[in-house]
Amino acid sequence: MIEKKDSLAIGEYIKNFARKHSLFVLAYGTGCGAIEIPPTMTSRYDAERFGIRGAATPRQADVLLITGYLATKTLKRVIRVYEQMQDPKYVIGFGSCTINGGMYWDSYNTINSLDKYIPVDVFINGCMPRPEAVISGFVKLQEYIQEGKADGWRKYQNNIEEYRENQKRIIKNWRMPDYNL
Amino acid sequence: MSEQIKEKETLEALTKTFEKVNGIVQRDKRVIVETDAEIIPGVLLYAKERLKFTHFSHMSCVDWIENNQFELVYILWSPEDKIQLIIKCVINREKPIIQNIDNIWRQANTYEREIREMFGVEFEGLIGAKEFILEDWDDIPPMRKDFDTKEYSSKHFFDRPGREDAKDVRTVITERSGEEIPDFAKKYSRD
Amino acid sequence: MREKTTTLYLGPQHPGITGNMMVKLQVAGDTIAKATTEVGYLHRGFEKLMERRNWLQSFTIVCRICVPEPDPNEENFSRAVEEIEGRIIPERAKWLRVLTLELGRIASYLLWYGGQNGSAGLYTVGQWSVGDRNYILDLFEELTGGRVYHMYIWPGGVRRDMPEGFRDKVLSTMDYLEKRLDDYDKLMFDNAIFQKRAQGVGIINKEKAIEWGVVGPPLRACGIASDVRKDDPYEIYDQLDFEIGLEHGSDVWARALVRRKEIRESIKIVRQVMDKIPEGEFYNKIPNPMKWKIPAGEAYVKTESARGEFGYYVVSDGTDKPRRVHVKGPAYVHGVTLLEDMLVGANLADVSFIMNSLGTCPPEIER
Repeated sequence: MIEKKDSLAIGEYIKNFARKHSLFVLAYGTGCGAIEIPPTMTSRYDAERFGIRGAATPRQADVLLITGYLATKTLKRVIRVYEQMQDPKYVIGFGSCTINGGMYWDSYNTINSLDKYIPVDVFINGCMPRPEAVISGFVKLQEYIQEGKADGWRKYQNNIEEYRENQKRIIKNWRMPDYNL
Repeated sequence: MSEQIKEKETLEALTKTFEKVNGIVQRDKRVIVETDAEIIPGVLLYAKERLKFTHFSHMSCVDWIENNQFELVYILWSPEDKIQLIIKCVINREKPIIQNIDNIWRQANTYEREIREMFGVEFEGLIGAKEFILEDWDDIPPMRKDFDTKEYSSKHFFDRPGREDAKDVRTVITERSGEEIPDFAKKYSRD
Repeated sequence: MREKTTTLYLGPQHPGITGNMMVKLQVAGDTIAKATTEVGYLHRGFEKLMERRNWLQSFTIVCRICVPEPDPNEENFSRAVEEIEGRIIPERAKWLRVLTLELGRIASYLLWYGGQNGSAGLYTVGQWSVGDRNYILDLFEELTGGRVYHMYIWPGGVRRDMPEGFRDKVLSTMDYLEKRLDDYDKLMFDNAIFQKRAQGVGIINKEKAIEWGVVGPPLRACGIASDVRKDDPYEIYDQLDFEIGLEHGSDVWARALVRRKEIRESIKIVRQVMDKIPEGEFYNKIPNPMKWKIPAGEAYVKTESARGEFGYYVVSDGTDKPRRVHVKGPAYVHGVTLLEDMLVGANLADVSFIMNSLGTCPPEIER
């Protein structure tokens, strides 16, 4: 909570409070983890209780959920999607394969650690994580947002060269618009 | 066990018509034949038109690097007789080229595009984009046996180091139980 | 006069089916003039990974090939290994395998109910059916330990026996689902919106259906009785009494009716399995898996999954690792050549509706 009577801090608190209760998740099922999203969103687990719901386009979304392994071909699209999203934006890495490659650690077509390419705020481990784990990951993200710790997007802006270098190591044919100008 | 009458009839019809076809009845509903790469379209067309193997189930390729050969496998199904016919042929691995069969079955086009990309086998006159599954691939075709996927992965992607205190799980178990790691398991160590 | 066309991209960001793929559409007005599919967004190189792993390690990754229904993969791989090696599995294991396959089919069809209606804008069905699917996943969790990936059917039998009291739980879930299916009929099949969207849309030419390699519910909706469970019976399907769905409309509506019938037949099969399952061993022990070598040989095995024939071509060269495992998912044909052909002349709004009715599942196209 706020200790000093600082108008800036109060404003920040209110902003964060509002942000954490309306997380619009971009419906981009990038891997097999997407199969646990329908149960999370529907009747039994009902993630909408926490203010989590789907958004159709990147420009309306707050959260990018990377549900599992990323093939190199998808990585290119994911970077585009991530850069199109409006700040502040958050990324959740879902499943073991986003952390260290998981089952596909030695595959020639899937990346091994997601946070080298885009900043990740929360990782949810497991193959595959249960809907309870997904919701607990979202709740953790909400805590971070309230505390102002979920600043992956700022990290991305500040270290854009480093991220770009890593991205270009994989994407050989870099032909996409620059959204960060 | 049935009598395998229809299976034997199919095999006989194929071996009688083509000199260079020989094969066996593997089990009920499975007939395997081998033939030459040159007459593959003829054999397939005969099987489709005369023997009623109208359904093209599958097409595969196996890399026999020690013999310097690719083996192409065409798997057909007869909805009338309920028999699966597996036709195999080998081609040279140095110059892998074979006739295109997508004018016999249209969906063979998809399989051929995949095999072209994954093995580097050329199909004469195959139409379709070069890139099917991979994108901007600049190494040797990945399904070939001499392609090492682990090496490629560690060269291109970042391996996340394990925790410093992480141990091989077997070491932990053996320490706890006071037993040795069995000999057969030692060679499957982490590194 | 040539009509002007516009290029539209459907996907790769969620085209409304279980996975990512892209369909590049040339549209004139809202009619599609040309469609080109592009896949590969989910390629993991399973076939290469299996060549690096020994036979038992390969078994743990095969189920990840198809996400909505992983059991046919395990079944195919195990059966291929057993066929090459000549291993005999206990009778009880065969029944347990059929039980998981049929429960998986019901779960997959329930997910399809949600997907098919979601792409028509009827979200209530999805809320219900995905919720009901959870009851089946609970059964799976109790039987195998996993909700989505079970790793249950393995070479030599199955991994565990049924827990105590499982039979009653299965039967009561089946009773519940059977009652719910009538609700789905009211909500979906009696719904004028769904009827108008589905009837006469996405017609497959019957004469060419076999020749194009169409399998599963789309083929049976063309009036061709073709089902691996009947044509090339595996495990104990020849001892069971069931029918397959058969319709003649060959449109989306007919495919929906085929699935509507088969989900009931699957419930019937599960009940039969529960009645007739013999007592005894459930696993025929394999030798030390680290040293386990399979004699040289090859096998093509197939299983009827919820979307059609799932085929595995497995080659062994006598070592402890597979030489080649080639997977043919039913969507391999449906999702590429057939879809490109069917979409021509279709309405733009029907694209993901048609894709859902074919059961297009990109993870098994590119593996």
